[in-house]
Amino acid sequence: MRDGLQFRPMHIPDGILTNRIALSLDALSGASILFASRRFKLELSARMIPIMGVLSAFIFAAQMLNFPVFGGTSGHLVGGALLGIMLGPMAGLLTMATVVVAQALFLQDGGLLALGANIFNIGAITVFSGSAVFRLLGAEQASGRRLALAGFVAGWFSMVLSASACAFQLALSNAVPLGIGLTAMGGYHAVIGVAEGALTAGVISFLHKVRPDLLHRDFTPGFKLVDWAGGLVLVAIPLVVLVLAGSSGLPDPLQSLLAGPSSIADAAVSPLLSNRNQDLYRVLGYLALFALFAAIFLAVRWIRNRKGAS
Amino acid sequence: MKHSFIDRFGDLDSPLHVLDARTKIVGFTALTVAALLIPAGNSGQFFAFFFFIAILAGISQIPLQYVVGRTAVILPFVLLAGLAAPYRGTQRWAWLAALLLRSTLCLLILVLLTNTSRFAEFLRGLRKLGCPRIMAVNLGFLYRYLFVLSDEIMRMRQARDCRRVGALGTISEMKILGSMLGTLMVRSFERADHMYHAMLSRGFSGEFPVAAPRRFSWRDLAFVSLVALFIAATFYL
Amino acid sequence: MTDYAVRITRLNYSYPDGTQALESIDLDLKKGERVALVGPSGAGKSTLLLHLNGVLKGSGTVRILGQTIADGDLKFIRKQVGLLFQDPNDQLFCPTVFEDIAFGPLNLGVDAQEISKRVEKALSDVMLDHSYASRSAHHLSQGERKRVALATVLAMEPNVLALDEPTGNLDPGNRRHLIELIAGLPATLILGTHDLEMVLALCDRTVVLDRGKIHADGETSAILADAGLMEQHGLEVPLSLRSRRG
Repeated sequence: MRDGLQFRPMHIPDGILTNRIALSLDALSGASILFASRRFKLELSARMIPIMGVLSAFIFAAQMLNFPVFGGTSGHLVGGALLGIMLGPMAGLLTMATVVVAQALFLQDGGLLALGANIFNIGAITVFSGSAVFRLLGAEQASGRRLALAGFVAGWFSMVLSASACAFQLALSNAVPLGIGLTAMGGYHAVIGVAEGALTAGVISFLHKVRPDLLHRDFTPGFKLVDWAGGLVLVAIPLVVLVLAGSSGLPDPLQSLLAGPSSIADAAVSPLLSNRNQDLYRVLGYLALFALFAAIFLAVRWIRNRKGAS
Repeated sequence: MKHSFIDRFGDLDSPLHVLDARTKIVGFTALTVAALLIPAGNSGQFFAFFFFIAILAGISQIPLQYVVGRTAVILPFVLLAGLAAPYRGTQRWAWLAALLLRSTLCLLILVLLTNTSRFAEFLRGLRKLGCPRIMAVNLGFLYRYLFVLSDEIMRMRQARDCRRVGALGTISEMKILGSMLGTLMVRSFERADHMYHAMLSRGFSGEFPVAAPRRFSWRDLAFVSLVALFIAATFYL
Repeated sequence: MTDYAVRITRLNYSYPDGTQALESIDLDLKKGERVALVGPSGAGKSTLLLHLNGVLKGSGTVRILGQTIADGDLKFIRKQVGLLFQDPNDQLFCPTVFEDIAFGPLNLGVDAQEISKRVEKALSDVMLDHSYASRSAHHLSQGERKRVALATVLAMEPNVLALDEPTGNLDPGNRRHLIELIAGLPATLILGTHDLEMVLALCDRTVVLDRGKIHADGETSAILADAGLMEQHGLEVPLSLRSRRG
């Protein structure tokens, strides 16, 4: 394994969110990316292309750099707010979305259908809130402490908001109750957000000292009418999907696709599982599945290699 | 420095590897969706899926430890999330079981999808399926420059470690991390500028050219049909 | 038809922050000439080379094969002038070597059939096996990367080649190979470099650039043997010339 750079899974895998939530977020993220791509094509200069590309690699690599927190755990920079500040919301979204997709593809960190949710939490919310907070605090012309403070708040807020969104998604999927989600995830990210804020502030201040021209590049145009209109349409999409899910006029397969988790009470109970040891049996059964998987896998491999060798 | 954690198995020779990337993306995504639709108690269906995926994995020539290893790494997180669920008693374990089974299946499928194609091929497939050009270009740059950046980070860490004695507190660590990140960011912008000049020098004018054509073969059709039949069979039989 | 491949007249260029990078540069290259551009670090060699294909635009005129850059078709200029960058990593930005080499011709509108042929030819021009086409740049050694970078430029079939520190960071073996490669290229050549031995081997004419101004322009061995001139501009007489004199 590589020395030094480690990674901890932190994106939502498949299976936790209900299909309904996952798909509506897929639709939302997909539409946002299409929208941002369109705006990018029409309005941003080609010069941005390599910048976004290299920064995607930068963020991906930076997210693998850990620093110790509380002796046991470790944290790392997420970078959404930072990108939002430096590149503006459109380019920032595209860059972070790239990172999230790459993490799913290279590290299997985050599920396939859950990509929409992960892009939304880690790509969209952090970038937009970070960028918005920074601008709202009037930090674009600021320097010194004001700049650092704005960076800090932007970074911290992006984490808390992102975690809250995630908690909502989990709650709506009936996977984690809202109370636990908000306190645990929200609380954890409120603390880890201090580090994110500090690092964001640190990098922004560093850049202001060393390459102030990078901070004031005219990257994205300000928010125009088309952005607001686009934003409204985008937000409407998941709502439409959710509403559709409730309607009964849909064909069956589609209906079940959009339905909530299967009724848990329907869980089939086999003869073995009628006593207290059922949990143990379930665990053993699960492990047995792995063993079976391995057996079939190896059998197939062996057969193929024999055929290949002859 | 050599890096091999990405694209390690993309170059293998297997019936899955020779398929067009589009086929694999569509096929494996369909399997994922299907897996997520398996009702909680249908052990038969879960078993069928495991069986099918095991066969596909066996054919793929990817080492067993890798497949299981990648899956196992993510599972504790799933378990944690599962335990937090608002169910009690039998319901809770049923939910957990269904969750684990579904997540495992989806993870196995994802490992197969991402390790049976060269990343460049995968990107081409995505592009043909309608992925926005800028996203495909970005992913390409990320893939290409990840190693360059990781090397730079390694070197910076080594340089830092040479000048460090003992463990420092979190705050000092973070300060150091902050300047490392800042420096890295500046270098990234500089590299991006050079890249831009290099792109311009080779005639780039804003639009990316379309690459070489791809061939579909009977194998692609066979794979997609197989997946479709399998899913239909497990759901309707 | 003009005899000149490159004509630079009174070129001035300042960086965005105001510092003057190039001052009143006059430089003419005849077709087929091989000219070395030497000078201390920061002299402006790279900056000057970037003007040859219109990436940077200063005041004054730059004419390539008779066509002025300001009003000329940039596609034509960029086809005619191939620029090799100092760091091959900046030049190899596609997921595979094939795509990198194909990038230039594709931008020029070369059709799909012809592209594969160009890639093959470019690879053989830099003496790399065609199996390199499917590999990724990050798996290659520095020497291989330099060659692939050169291939990406050669694939556009330019008539003028501007090379920025081609032998930088290369071990002696790879350096020798690269010099042999460059020696065999038919294009008009301008080499920005510190590698004075290479200059002696490849170029008949040498131009000394320092602080954005041209201080000397003449026959290579005469210029490089001039100890006073060399030291004045942060260089030194190359070893082979010293032993000849001493």
